[in-house]
Amino acid sequence: MFGIYKIPFQTDAAGITVSVEVEGETSTYRRVAPRETLTKRLGYREGRVIINPVEPVNLPSEVTGMIEFHFTPVTLRPSSRILICLKFPVEIGVFVGADENYTLLDVFSLARPKYSLYGTPENGFITRHVECEVFESAPPTDPLKEGVLFLAVRNSGRDWVEVSRAVFDVSALRIFHGRTVAISGEMEVFSRLVAETRVLDLPPEEGMKQSLRVFPTKRLLIPEKQPFMMEYGVGE
Amino acid sequence: MAFESLKIEIIGNVTLFDLIVFAISVLAAAIIAKVVAIYLKKSLSDRIPPKEMDFLIRVIQAAIIIVGIYLALPSFDINLADMLVVGGTMGLVIAFASQRIVSNFGSGLFLIAERPMKPGDSVNIGAVSGTVEEIRVLSTIIKTHEGVYVRVPNEKIFTSEITNFVANVARRFEYTIGISYQSDAAKAIRIIKSLLDDHPFVLRHPAPSVFVDTLSDSSVNLRVFIWAPSRVWWSVRTEMLWAIKKALDAEGIEIPFPQRVITFARDKEGPSCSGTQGDGAAYGRP
Repeated sequence: MFGIYKIPFQTDAAGITVSVEVEGETSTYRRVAPRETLTKRLGYREGRVIINPVEPVNLPSEVTGMIEFHFTPVTLRPSSRILICLKFPVEIGVFVGADENYTLLDVFSLARPKYSLYGTPENGFITRHVECEVFESAPPTDPLKEGVLFLAVRNSGRDWVEVSRAVFDVSALRIFHGRTVAISGEMEVFSRLVAETRVLDLPPEEGMKQSLRVFPTKRLLIPEKQPFMMEYGVGE
Repeated sequence: MAFESLKIEIIGNVTLFDLIVFAISVLAAAIIAKVVAIYLKKSLSDRIPPKEMDFLIRVIQAAIIIVGIYLALPSFDINLADMLVVGGTMGLVIAFASQRIVSNFGSGLFLIAERPMKPGDSVNIGAVSGTVEEIRVLSTIIKTHEGVYVRVPNEKIFTSEITNFVANVARRFEYTIGISYQSDAAKAIRIIKSLLDDHPFVLRHPAPSVFVDTLSDSSVNLRVFIWAPSRVWWSVRTEMLWAIKKALDAEGIEIPFPQRVITFARDKEGPSCSGTQGDGAAYGRP
């Protein structure tokens, strides 16, 4: 389903149908997903539609720009580094436009969203909550439902540390897609309380395409903040 | 003749011509500020949140007008250093003459610096409750929940207790749900927890809490504590209460009316007349 389509078109996969039908000088966008449908009238009959995975913080409505992974605790010795894989829910974005100028038309997902709070109500962050297992290598996934975060965790502290949380600022998130959906990230742990996370601009596998993002199309003037400083702990 | 009259000195060495030049300069600056504001709104409205956009426009407009006045001042042949001295003295005089205004101004500066609230926040200030529309130097504009415009002087705000409902990113709310003594409280708790788990904006951490709180006259009272993002807490609150009610009904868990068991004295002698009656009102003759 992910790709670039020229109006008119129809694509179906996993019970989802996305189409744009031309009617006179205008066209109609229709999306039928298992739980809901959406119809929008478009004031044009030409152009391109891009369907790709987007930052998973848009549904049911945007309340945050942070994503938090809660995973099976991993213990690290001082000055050690490991690579782990975590699954995350995919949200699918539909953009419409031409040349390099695209606008978001629709976002939907087959995954159930859940939100959480990282830190305190006064100074913390609302986060999209992702609870997942830890994998040593990329687990098999359905790209319409799940993606894989390749996370390199490094313990720069002097003590052993147990890590079970990683929080990322999605304004800098780069999602890649091909046979799978993937993100590459790094986490540098300084202590049980403080760590730094950043998302890499590199595809985890060769041949993957970078997804068009929701955040830059909305807020070009807000500078991307990276890395993100986790100050409220890396464990339970 | 008309040109000669422009050279007549009106105040000190300031001629009518100087005044006209000054007025035109300030007017031109105001027009430029307006045009720039319209341009900024058109070009940046989809890239900057509305509240930040208003602030940005106001700062730019103020800067343009100040520059306009600065450029127009030479037409008065005024020495800026002298003007600062005169301005300072005038400022003191005005301050004494208008203490309330100065007090409001000072309070406004403190409010802007302390930032107990910002435009868009849902607040309660004294007897006024609503959404902050704008924080000005002398006053703050509140739009009440009924959509009414209220201007509150900053001095009053500064000395009042301010409750900001959305200052923190998350907030807690609660329900008390009474179920009948015949109903299974553990089952009711399971049903409610499952609903809370399904709702995206009922936060995972801090986790919601559901427990038997009191054994009251007519019902076993369950207490439900829920944390939600401040931006959407009201919609979560309204959605969840009805969802809980429907789910409990569907599972046959009764939410009882207030009731009282009445036993008549005659019951000890003859056939039983005891029963339940709504709202505790008792009728009968012993």
